[in-house]
Amino acid sequence: MARSSVGGSAVRGAAPALPSVSRASLLRAGLALVILSGIAVGAHALHDTPGQGARASFSLLTGAALGLVFAGGRFCFFCILRDFFEDGSSRGVFAILAALAVGSVGYAVVFGAFLPNPMSGRLPPDAHIGPVSWVLVAAGAAFGVGMALSGACISGHLYRLGEGSVRAPFALLGTLVGFGAGFFTWQSVYLSAIAQAPVAWLPAALGYGGALALTLAVLAAVGLLLLRYLPAADAARPAGDRLTPAAVYRLVVFQRWNPLVTGALVGVIGTFAYFRVEPLGVTAQLGSLSRTILDSAGLLAGRLNGLDGFAGCATVVAQTITENGWLIGGLALGSLSLSLLAGRFQPERPTVRGSLTALGGGVLMGWGAMLALGCTVGTLLSGVSAFAVSGWVFGGAVLAGVWFGIRLGLHRW
Amino acid sequence: MSALRKIAFTALLLAALGALAAAAPAAAQPPALESVVVSADWLEARLDDPNVRVIEVSVIPGVFERGHIPGAVNFVWHTDFVDTVRRDIVSADRFEELARAAGINQDTAVILYGDHNNWFAAWGAWIFNLYGFNNVALLDGGRVKWEADGRALSTRPASYPTGNFTVTNTAANLRARLSDVLAVVEGGAPGTLVDIRSVAEYRGEIFAPEGVQELAVRAGHIPGAINVPWGQNVREDGTFKSVDELRQLYADLGIDGSRPIITYCRIGERAALTWFVLKHLLGYNVALYDGSWTEYGNTVGVPIENPAGTVWGGR
Repeated sequence: MARSSVGGSAVRGAAPALPSVSRASLLRAGLALVILSGIAVGAHALHDTPGQGARASFSLLTGAALGLVFAGGRFCFFCILRDFFEDGSSRGVFAILAALAVGSVGYAVVFGAFLPNPMSGRLPPDAHIGPVSWVLVAAGAAFGVGMALSGACISGHLYRLGEGSVRAPFALLGTLVGFGAGFFTWQSVYLSAIAQAPVAWLPAALGYGGALALTLAVLAAVGLLLLRYLPAADAARPAGDRLTPAAVYRLVVFQRWNPLVTGALVGVIGTFAYFRVEPLGVTAQLGSLSRTILDSAGLLAGRLNGLDGFAGCATVVAQTITENGWLIGGLALGSLSLSLLAGRFQPERPTVRGSLTALGGGVLMGWGAMLALGCTVGTLLSGVSAFAVSGWVFGGAVLAGVWFGIRLGLHRW
Repeated sequence: MSALRKIAFTALLLAALGALAAAAPAAAQPPALESVVVSADWLEARLDDPNVRVIEVSVIPGVFERGHIPGAVNFVWHTDFVDTVRRDIVSADRFEELARAAGINQDTAVILYGDHNNWFAAWGAWIFNLYGFNNVALLDGGRVKWEADGRALSTRPASYPTGNFTVTNTAANLRARLSDVLAVVEGGAPGTLVDIRSVAEYRGEIFAPEGVQELAVRAGHIPGAINVPWGQNVREDGTFKSVDELRQLYADLGIDGSRPIITYCRIGERAALTWFVLKHLLGYNVALYDGSWTEYGNTVGVPIENPAGTVWGGR
């Protein structure tokens, strides 16, 4: 590994070399195997459960795959941006660019089958194409500041949960509170800002070919600009020994995965998820939990203005685990199994300051994710892949928010 | 009608052959239905027939796109089959356009299917009939049965040469308006009303099932309506009950086809399934009231029966 700081707190203390086989590591490997088998058995059982079926099963498996990739590649939006803003390393950003590029190609392929004519005035089913207004910008900026304050975005906290992060539970709790606040804001700004906002979709104007070409061109241009910030050690692959099974195990389990491989895998998983179930997103279950709590307390209107008319990380009043719930459960478990194998499951002693900043950051992120109809995964990743203008706008606002948060030193809790 | 006769004949033949081939007891075989319902076996053998066009009408958006019967065309119920501005069914002109784009000719055999027990596929059949096109059948068991059988699905969009489908006449007698319903309620016209909603809705215990958006501000049902929840038309696997069973079911409730029938539900689509059963399987004189409870229960000054006495806005 080139730099121990890359990837943030998640990798601090990770052993770079294969440790000698101890009883503890055998126990951890056994536990990881049990969890992975549990996911497989669970997916099989879900498939046969009436009312759950193939979609829930596929969501659990998708989540687990995503957890493994997020943890293996340290695909944490905040750490990636912090490494860039603070250390001047663009290494991780290439993972995001690769995810968006591969995801766009995948979505273009799927869209061509789902909605052969993009100029018909219809939108492809379920794709995360949201309204573009100042509310989206404010939501993205708040989300970005919340990322800095809590140390990760929502998906980051979910996979950190699997690494024993003691801040993640507070951040996720804050997210629930933030979602609740977001619902009330939504009710008050819907008519003035969102009802008439354009739901802009690039293929409606440019066709699939044009939209894909534009997206790839922008991503390539950003990549070219960032090449000079790529650490030297990564620019050229060091000549290594021959790959033995032990070396492969070491590379996969202990080392941070190549950002392009990580990003490409995220893009592929995103495409598969859209094709089979719904676009990737990690907030629908959390938001639904908030909405259900507020609903049962009689605090929230049963119908939120216009909310059901938009595709995105849709929240519903539900007493059951949704497909999105299986996905985020799988995500945390997938990450847990890899961190157990690598010996990265190391809970630290929680501090009051650390917990409070995580909680506060979570509130900001929940508020932003509700108003933006998704987070860095649902609105940014699944939105840009779907050629939604809202994905780019949200991404830009998040970037600005993170930059501002780091400038203020919010992340040095 | 010649294509449908062929369908009927072949369906019967296949059912007979199937019964002979399979050593299973005859009772396990679905009895042969009228020509307006085709079996999945029949359809699967004819997917490449250019004179057969399969149309999916599903309740849930995005279901068709993630896999449909190979070659099927998607008709979207909430945009294709309706006027999206005023509350009405699709206009004749637009429907003609839609059907032609799907490659439907005057002599094409149209097979409709969908999720949720063919609810909206039956509604699609009603619209085809309403616009004078009778060469329409439903796939028995719909999408759920097709999937449960493990039959193939495709995600490839199909494209067909433009058809010559033309709306020749409008069978207005298949559609009941509020005035027709009121005429029955007030005794001015003979008729039987069939309410296909749940018992709780019919009794007025709830205004609508949980989570739905379209409501009436009064609970209960149209006076004199007989409650036959839609699910009574089908077996557990979603296929239609036999004609004899269906005839008996309705006869026991006093619905024997001797008087004109009007079916209704909440927003007007689900009742098409019962309309289809009464019209095409039992051959009764039946119209669909597509205004249904959201129109009737919101109408000022009409009589209502509300056994549970639930009050809008609280007691």
